Amino acid sequence: MNNAKRAGSARMKRNVFILSFILPTLLLYLVFGIYPLFKGIYLSLFDWSGGSETYNFIGLDNFKEMMNDDVIPKTIRNDYILVFGKIIGFMLISVFFAVALTRFNIKGSGFYRTIFFIPNVLSVVVVGVLWRYVYNPNVGFLNSAISAITGKTYDFAWLGDKWSIFALLPPSIWAGVGFTIILMIAGILAIPSSLYEAAEIDGASQWRQFRLITLPLSWEQIKTSVLWIVMTTLSGSFVIVTIMTFEGGVDNATQVMGSYLYMNAYKFGKFSYGSAIGVLILILSFITTVALQKLMNRENIELT
Amino acid sequence: MSRLFRKTMTWGSVLLMLTLVLSACGGSKEKGSESSPAASPKASESAKPSESASAPEGVKLTGDFEIQYFVGGYGDAWWKEVIGEFQQLHPDLKIKESAGPKINDQMKPRWIQGSPPDFVYIDGAGSNTRQMVTDDQLLDLTDWFKTAQNSDGKLLSDMLIAQPEEYQAGKVHAVPLVFGSWGTFYDKALFKDKGWEAPKDFESFLALGDKIKADGQMSVYIHTGVYPYYINGGLLDPAIVAMNGYDTSIVKKINSLEAGVWSSEPVKKALDKIVQMRDKGFFDKGSPALNHTDSQSQWLQHKAAFIPNGLWVESEMANDTPAGFDFGFLPSITQDNGGKYVANPYVATVAIAKKAKNPDAAKAFLQFLYTEAHGKSWAELSKAPSNIKADLEATNAPALTKEASRFYNSDSTVVSPEVVIPEELVTERNNATLALTKGDITTEEWIDRMEKATEKIRSKENK
Repeated sequence: MNNAKRAGSARMKRNVFILSFILPTLLLYLVFGIYPLFKGIYLSLFDWSGGSETYNFIGLDNFKEMMNDDVIPKTIRNDYILVFGKIIGFMLISVFFAVALTRFNIKGSGFYRTIFFIPNVLSVVVVGVLWRYVYNPNVGFLNSAISAITGKTYDFAWLGDKWSIFALLPPSIWAGVGFTIILMIAGILAIPSSLYEAAEIDGASQWRQFRLITLPLSWEQIKTSVLWIVMTTLSGSFVIVTIMTFEGGVDNATQVMGSYLYMNAYKFGKFSYGSAIGVLILILSFITTVALQKLMNRENIELT
Repeated sequence: MSRLFRKTMTWGSVLLMLTLVLSACGGSKEKGSESSPAASPKASESAKPSESASAPEGVKLTGDFEIQYFVGGYGDAWWKEVIGEFQQLHPDLKIKESAGPKINDQMKPRWIQGSPPDFVYIDGAGSNTRQMVTDDQLLDLTDWFKTAQNSDGKLLSDMLIAQPEEYQAGKVHAVPLVFGSWGTFYDKALFKDKGWEAPKDFESFLALGDKIKADGQMSVYIHTGVYPYYINGGLLDPAIVAMNGYDTSIVKKINSLEAGVWSSEPVKKALDKIVQMRDKGFFDKGSPALNHTDSQSQWLQHKAAFIPNGLWVESEMANDTPAGFDFGFLPSITQDNGGKYVANPYVATVAIAKKAKNPDAAKAFLQFLYTEAHGKSWAELSKAPSNIKADLEATNAPALTKEASRFYNSDSTVVSPEVVIPEELVTERNNATLALTKGDITTEEWIDRMEKATEKIRSKENK
């Protein structure tokens, strides 16, 4: 009896201990994560300007309006150009450099690691402003370089064109690639060197080693990186678009869902329409993440 | 048994917490929507014409009085001065100033919750008079404004350069305080140097443009493609009025979202001027990517001869202006030979909250502001023209401000009303005009897009 009581109070203590960790986080998560999420979905069913005291319930009308909005397809297209452009750019660069910095004994690899990571420490605002100078049509670095090489004045407006969304890829990749490089390096370093040694003895070329050892055994890192890129891009591409092309470029050329949400909610006085776009982002990110996760689900290769 | 009990207890408390949080969130929402119908009849009560309309000085004002004002390019020196004077006049009034460059965002929750300040100066990012009227936040001043006098005993409406905009037909909700104008700017010193003469009409502008192009030193016309409302305000809008035979009623038609106004002949002709400039290659190629400061500094560096802008450009670029640069201003460049200039104004307004707790003080303050002395002090302290009629020649207002006010007072200048259309339509027009200057769309497509976008908003507003 006494024993059972003691055991009980021990369990109680343990529960309290666990709760003390869970509760604050859970509360914060509920208040700042779940509540705004549902509030956003709730608001998307109204016709609310964002500054008015009256809320009119209009059901799904915002979503119907979205169907007829010519800008929405453009924003979705742009978001996915960024997502896939970034996945390709990030993964090519980070896998290449991670392999180069770990597998080929390059001198000063620590130095390169730092160099690649520096842009990650910079605020996106700084990155955006910096690259605006690079792209500046009349006094920018890029056009000056092209002019100097070709000998003709080159004044193409990189950020003022129909396809300027592609001009946003280099800065976004430059700004974030350090993180995935570090991730890949960690993944590759975790692969036991005995595997490579064995492959070496068997006469496998570097390329075969990469294909048969490095890639499968660091697949988890690649997967994580891709999902990280997808999620941060769909929810955060707003920043680079707004910093570099302000209101979405020429005729919405660089408008993404996030920036269009912002325009509607805070500029056009259509807060609930903005919320509806938020719901669209939520749905699309969810679908994309799940689809990519399914696509990349290779069999896990366990090291024994 | 006891283990099961504990488990239920733990989960029970988690659930309890969850419901508490959720119900707290839900509760506040209901309260918000409930209070609005109850509060609105009270607000309309206070909209009764005030008895103190004629003699603001006679009454002693008491109680709290809150003033919201945006602090931007014009600074806050003038506000500090007039509020100080007003306080001296009414020592029993407890004046609270809510001011700053971010004040519009900071005060937004209070406007939504229905406890706004009494008096508001509507200017800067995040402010939009038309939206505030649509949201029913401003006091209807129509009747009061008809008879209201300023502190000098003059009729308030006689003191204004630009009359209040009718955001709703026949109603006055806000009174313009700042008055400036869009226009086309150039460097007088450069023009003198090169022997160029500032154009008087579109014909001479085109001729000069050809000369500048032949000169090969700079492009003719640079503008900010990131904010195409600069080119709309500085080039297109005055052109529309000029092409309408200087009849400003077309702006009213635009503002009331009348069907077919965009496809009317004057708008077509005005757009054609842009197309002519485009086809001659006058627009700086870099323009679409430039924001306002980029375009302005490149213009200051003589990378282009002309720029559409507002009168604030002089003080905005004060730190980047090269020595010897002499700001020149033309209200418009698109008028026909022998025609008049068209000045397209921009205004910032003041208004009283519909739910003001001290509307009498707010009205008295409004009457107090609109005197000639305050018009002069605005020009001196804020370095820009105000909407109060005042002779600025003797003041130490900046040269560009004086030059502009000379244009406004001249017979050869038509002051048109401001184009105030919903923000969504502003953006659509920005996009369409920029696409037109790049040759991405034709005049017909421009018109088509505008008519469609306007129709969409019209059908929504009538719902």
